[in-house]
Amino acid sequence: MEVIKLKARPAYPGKAAGEAIVCPHSIQGWAGVSDETGIIIEVGHPEQGKCIKGKILVMPYGKGSTGWSGHFHSAAVAGFSPAGWVFSNIDSRCGVATAALEVPAVADFKDVDVFEVIKTGDWVEIDGDTGEVTITKK
Amino acid sequence: MVKLTDYEQRMLNGEMGEFKQRAIKKIVEYANALGAEELCTVTKATLFFGYQPYLDAVKSDDYDEIFSRMLLCEHSDKIYKMDKFSDECFAQTCAGPCDHFRYKEINLSKEVFDKNRKFLDITKEAGVSIAGSCTPYLSGWIPLRGEHFVSTESSNILFGNSVYGACANADGLEASAWSAICGRTPLWGNHIIENRYATHVIDVQCRIETPLDWDILGHALGRLLTDGNERPVLIGNFNRPDLTRLKKFFTALATTSGCELCHIVGSTAEAPTLEAALAGHQPKRTIVIDQAEYDKSYNSVTDHESADVQLVALGCPHYSLEEIRNVAMMLKGKKVAPGVSLQIWTDFTMQHLAEVNGYAQIIEEAGAVLLNSGCPMVCGRTAYDIVTSGFATDAAKQAHYVHTDLNEKNCKVFYGTTEKCIEAALKGRWEV
Repeated sequence: MEVIKLKARPAYPGKAAGEAIVCPHSIQGWAGVSDETGIIIEVGHPEQGKCIKGKILVMPYGKGSTGWSGHFHSAAVAGFSPAGWVFSNIDSRCGVATAALEVPAVADFKDVDVFEVIKTGDWVEIDGDTGEVTITKK
Repeated sequence: MVKLTDYEQRMLNGEMGEFKQRAIKKIVEYANALGAEELCTVTKATLFFGYQPYLDAVKSDDYDEIFSRMLLCEHSDKIYKMDKFSDECFAQTCAGPCDHFRYKEINLSKEVFDKNRKFLDITKEAGVSIAGSCTPYLSGWIPLRGEHFVSTESSNILFGNSVYGACANADGLEASAWSAICGRTPLWGNHIIENRYATHVIDVQCRIETPLDWDILGHALGRLLTDGNERPVLIGNFNRPDLTRLKKFFTALATTSGCELCHIVGSTAEAPTLEAALAGHQPKRTIVIDQAEYDKSYNSVTDHESADVQLVALGCPHYSLEEIRNVAMMLKGKKVAPGVSLQIWTDFTMQHLAEVNGYAQIIEEAGAVLLNSGCPMVCGRTAYDIVTSGFATDAAKQAHYVHTDLNEKNCKVFYGTTEKCIEAALKGRWEV
């Protein structure tokens, strides 16, 4: 199996591994992820219907509502937290969500398009202390 | 890693109590997630406090426990006792989940009303004034140019950044609370003056005159901002917008996008000219908003089939005294149709001024209600249960957010001018 290594800025410490859900156009805040089930409910979203629990969420930045972090945090309180985050260009919404959920995160990739390298279903290991990302292609 | 001042380090060490220690710990984590190098002092905050429906995720009646889980994001069983918020930061509440004095009129339970008052009293004791406002600038909460503020109201972030040139990011419910407690936020994004230049030029070519036009323009612009982190600047042949138009524009823009700062040439603080807004940078894109884009937005927020209405909601964002006066004049000597709830939402200050001027009395005599602190959307819960066939509003935000839910219940959602909404409330029916 092909293994690819990337490096970015460490954004929240700790190690995490899981299957990737890759969202090149992010997930919206309001009515994006169900507070009660952790399932992506954004109408027309390519990953609609998938549960974020235990996954590595790969996205560029947040989208929509100021309550973006709140929806992910509510889902986490209900028991549906992603295992970790990969943000290509972090913004304040994602920064708050990272601190609120307290799961490992890496952010701000240079000279690489993570959405070309990582696809939904790949196995992704992230190290939030060093910024290393290891992708095992499915 | 973010560098802390001696004062911030002492707070992080716990010298100012564990409540502030927890808040600054989260702010430090937030700063490190963003890659911020230092923190800045926050002097104004508006916070989404009270008994909001989302707090039900914590199965507890103990507000300290709820606050620890949902706002302080403590994942263990530890409960932080509510303590004082920052002395440096004036904090007040945003729109909340109930009117401060009435609940039957908005179809909410006494339990929700009581619990909301209880929670608001607890945070008031901790230093967060009760204001119940999504338009805090109407009653004197005004961050000035260069001042760092936090707000849980997206349209208020746009207003403060754009109109006053004050500085805020979209921090969300949690980080706004952390900042109001510890008085700090990461010096990052819009808090750094050099970062505030316009990235996208918006060429406004559609009809743009009335408050409704500005509402729809905001909705359309938000739909077309798809690059993320955009700071648009509006150009075009339009008259300078007034407060009513701007607050509608920013509210709709913050509904369909995550936009935090929008320059308008000739109107907003950092855009005396297009060149000043761009500050020497090349725009990433020019986006044209023509009549077709305007029509697309308008047609997406309103349904096109006549129906009886049971709820007509005005005051999103909260009405100014001028808007309340205009509605009072429209309602003078008339009666709202039986079976219709005409709700006009504002804050305490405007409500009091409306009483002083007799507008409130005219509104109530017509069978409508002048309410404070919330709106049907923020109230949620049972607020929409009275709608059996139609809901009408003069706010694109309200129409946009409830559309799917109400359509699924076979109810129509109508959007139009304030005059058209009043007409529907008097007739009990929206005619297309």
